[in-house]
Amino acid sequence: MPEIESHDTKNLIIKERSTEPDSRREFLQHLLAGTATATVLMVFGPGVNARSKYANPTDGPEHQYAYVIDINKCIGCGNCVRACKRENSVPEDYFRTWVERYVVNADGVYVDSPKGALEGFEKLNKRFRKNIKISRTVPKMCNHCHNPPCIQVCPVGATFKAPEGFVLVDEDYCMGCGYCVQACPYAARFINPVKHKSDKCTWCYHRVQKGLLPACVTVCPQKARLFGDLNDAESEVSKIFEADQWMVLKPEMHTDPTCFYIGMPREVV
Amino acid sequence: MEQLGLPGDALVNYIFPNNAHVTWSIMIVIYPYITGLVAGAFVLSSMYHVFGVKEFKPIANFALVAAFSFGLFAAVPLLFHLGQPQRFYQIYMTPHTTSAMSIFGYVYSSYLVLLMIEIWVIYRKVFIEKANEATGRMRNFWWVLCLGITTYNPESAKFDKQFAKFLAGIGIPWACLLHGYVGFVFGSVKAVAWWATPLQPFIFLSSAIVSGVAMMFMMYSFIMWRRGQGYDYVMVKKFIITLWMAFILDYALEVLEITFVSYEQGAHWAVIKPLLLGPLYESYVLGQMGFLSLGPLLVLGIASLLDIKDKSLLYLGNLGSLMLVLQVLVMRFNVVVGGQLISKSERGFVDYEFEFFAKEGLLTATTIFIMPFVTYYIISRFIPIFEGKSIDTEPKRLH
Amino acid sequence: MKEPSPKAHFVRLAGVLGVAFVVFLTLKAILVPSSWDYDNWYRGDALELNASYELAYGGNDSCVACHQDTMDEFSQAKHQQLSCESCHGALADHVKDGVKIADAHMDDESRWQCLNCHEARVNKPKDFPQFDKITINEHKELDDEMLCIACHSPHDPTP
Repeated sequence: MPEIESHDTKNLIIKERSTEPDSRREFLQHLLAGTATATVLMVFGPGVNARSKYANPTDGPEHQYAYVIDINKCIGCGNCVRACKRENSVPEDYFRTWVERYVVNADGVYVDSPKGALEGFEKLNKRFRKNIKISRTVPKMCNHCHNPPCIQVCPVGATFKAPEGFVLVDEDYCMGCGYCVQACPYAARFINPVKHKSDKCTWCYHRVQKGLLPACVTVCPQKARLFGDLNDAESEVSKIFEADQWMVLKPEMHTDPTCFYIGMPREVV
Repeated sequence: MEQLGLPGDALVNYIFPNNAHVTWSIMIVIYPYITGLVAGAFVLSSMYHVFGVKEFKPIANFALVAAFSFGLFAAVPLLFHLGQPQRFYQIYMTPHTTSAMSIFGYVYSSYLVLLMIEIWVIYRKVFIEKANEATGRMRNFWWVLCLGITTYNPESAKFDKQFAKFLAGIGIPWACLLHGYVGFVFGSVKAVAWWATPLQPFIFLSSAIVSGVAMMFMMYSFIMWRRGQGYDYVMVKKFIITLWMAFILDYALEVLEITFVSYEQGAHWAVIKPLLLGPLYESYVLGQMGFLSLGPLLVLGIASLLDIKDKSLLYLGNLGSLMLVLQVLVMRFNVVVGGQLISKSERGFVDYEFEFFAKEGLLTATTIFIMPFVTYYIISRFIPIFEGKSIDTEPKRLH
Repeated sequence: MKEPSPKAHFVRLAGVLGVAFVVFLTLKAILVPSSWDYDNWYRGDALELNASYELAYGGNDSCVACHQDTMDEFSQAKHQQLSCESCHGALADHVKDGVKIADAHMDDESRWQCLNCHEARVNKPKDFPQFDKITINEHKELDDEMLCIACHSPHDPTP
C-alpha cells in the first residue's frame, strides 16, 4: 500500500479550494450557518457511542477515513451518481451512491430519486409545491459503519472492514447469497446482476490507495461531499467532526456509521 | 397520507433505489419449507422411536424415509439462488460464526448423515437380505450398503434398536437446529421490520412441524389408497390430534407475534400495518391467518373431538392437512418476500412479480419440490417401507 | 461365513466416518485461502484485489498536463472549483497510457449541461445561482433554441 502522508490528504481536499482567496472565511461562515440550522433541526443524537470512538484511536492504523455530506450545499445535479457509475461500472438500475430529494410540506413528506438522480431532478410536480417547509437533496451511499451488520451476517467472510475504515467486498470469495443485502439498514448493498456477487460503495478504495479522492467527491461542484482522514487534525472532515453538528442515518440501528451528515432535515431516513 | 396507506407521512410511494429488486425470492421461500418438512417428518418418526408412541409405529419408518427424501433436496433451492453456487464449499471452509447462516453447511450435512445412519441401522436386515438375494451389479450395490457385512447376527438387533433410539433422540434437537436457525437468520435482522422478532425461530419451527406432519398425513393417505390396503384408523386419529395440537401451538405463536407488534405501536408497526393492510392483505390476513388457519382449526378440531372412526377421518384429515400445507407455504412467502416489500426508506412498498421461467422462478421451484416425492417413490421400490420387514415395523390393519 | 460380532457393523461405520473426516480435513487444508486473516475473518489478498481496479477519473491535475492554457483561464473564473471531468467525462474515456484515444465529451448542442446545475429547483440552496425559464428567457430576445454557451463560455461563464 503506498504511503499517503497526512498532509497530502489535506491538500487533496483543500487543493480545489486553494485558488479561492476567501476559502477559509467562507468555510467558517458555512459552518456557522450550518451550526445554527443543525441545532434547530437536530432532534436526536447520532448514536449512543462516544465521539472519541471515531476520532481518537490510540493504536489504530495510520489513516482513519471518514466522509462528510453537507446537505446545505448539495444541489442535486447528479454528477456524483454519474461519476460513480462510470468509475465503478455500476449496472443500470443499481446504485453504489444515489441522491434523494426530500420535500416537506404541510401535508407530509415527498421523496423521490429518479434513477437515483442519475440525470438530476426534474422540476417538482406542482401538487407538492405548496407550503414547502423545507426541500433538500440528500446523497446516500454505504456508511462504512464501525459496527456493520452486513459484515456480521456474511456466512463466509467475503465482506470485511479494511484497516483504514473501508467496508469492502472480496469479489473473489463472495457467493452471492444476499444476506448482507438484507442486513444493511441503508439499502446500500445489492447483488450485482452482471457479476452475481455482492456490490456496494467502496469509497473508491482503489483511488484512495493511489492518493486520489473517491470519484463522487472529485466531481461534486459544491464540495458537498468531503472525504478525509480523521487522524489529520487539519483535514476538513476532522474539523467538521470536532464541531459536532453532524448526524448519522438511522442511529437507532447502532451501526455507528462513518458518513456524517451536516444540515440533515429530521424527515430524512 | 393515511388513505394511501403509506408510512412515514409519505405523500408518494418512495422506495430506496436498491430495494427495487427483491433479492430473496421463491428459492428462499421453498428452502425453509422443505427443511421444515424434514423437521416435521422426523419429529413424527421420533415420536415412536424415542417416545414410544405405539400408534405411530406403522408410519415411523415411512416418516423417516420421507424426511430423508426431502432432506436430500433441501439445499437445492439454495444452490439455484446463490450468485456463485460453485463457491458453496466455502461455507465449510471458512464459516463466519458471527453469522447464523454460517452454521448451515455443518448442521445440514451432519443432519443428513444422521438420517442416513438411522435409516441404515433400522433397515440393515433388509439390506443384508437383498445383498444375499441379488446378483450382478445390484449385489455390489447392496454389499456397499451393508458395509461389507452380509450375514445378519440377530444379537445385533438390540444394539441397532438402541442406536436408532439414540439417533432419533439427538435428531430431534438437531432437526430443531436445522430449521430453527432459519428462523433465527430472519428474526435477527434488525434492518427488516417484518422479520425482526425473537419469536421467529419458534414460529418457523412450530410451523415446520405442522407442515411436516400434515404432508406425512397426505402422503400416507395417498400411498395407502394406491396400495388398496386399508387404513389404520386408530393411528389416523392420533395423527389428526397431533396435527391439530401442533397447529394450535403454531397459530398461537403467529397470533402472539402480530398482537405484540401491533400493541407495541413502535417503529415496526408503523411499516408493518400498511404492509398487511396493503400488499399482503390477501395472502396474510385472508390467507395465512384467515381461511388457511381457521379452516384447519375447525376441520381438524371436528375430526379430533368428535367420535369419528371411519373414512370421514381421512376426508377431514386430508382437507385440514391440505390447508395446513398451504398455510405454511403461504406463511413462508409472507415472511420472506413480504419482509422485503417494506422498503428501508420507511416510506413505501416494493412491487413484487412472480417469475415463472427464471432461474429462481416458479417452474424451478415446482420441479425441485417434486423431486423428493420421486425420490421417495424410488426408495420404496428398493426397500419395504410399509411391509414390516425392517427390525420393528408391522402395520395394523383395522377396517 | 462366520457370523460377525453383533457390533461389527458399527466398527465399519466408524471407519467410514473416520475416512470421510480425514478427507474433509485434507480438503480444508487445501481449499482455505492461504492469506486468510483468522482474526478479522477475511481473505488477506482481498485488500490487494480491491486496490487493483482500473481508474476512470484522473482529477483536474491529470488534465492540466495537456491543457494548462485552458486551466489558466479556468482557474481565475467563476467555475474554478469544478471538476473538468464532471462535464467532459472521465479521463479514461479520453486518454489511455498517456495517449489520446478519443475526444473528451463536449456538450455543445444542448443546454442540458448548464441547466443541470443552474435551472431552478425548490431543493437547491437559496444562495446557489439558479434560474427559472423566465429569467433565462429574459436574456434579450432569446428563442428556445439558443444555447447558453453562445454567450457564456463554460470555462469563464461571465458573459
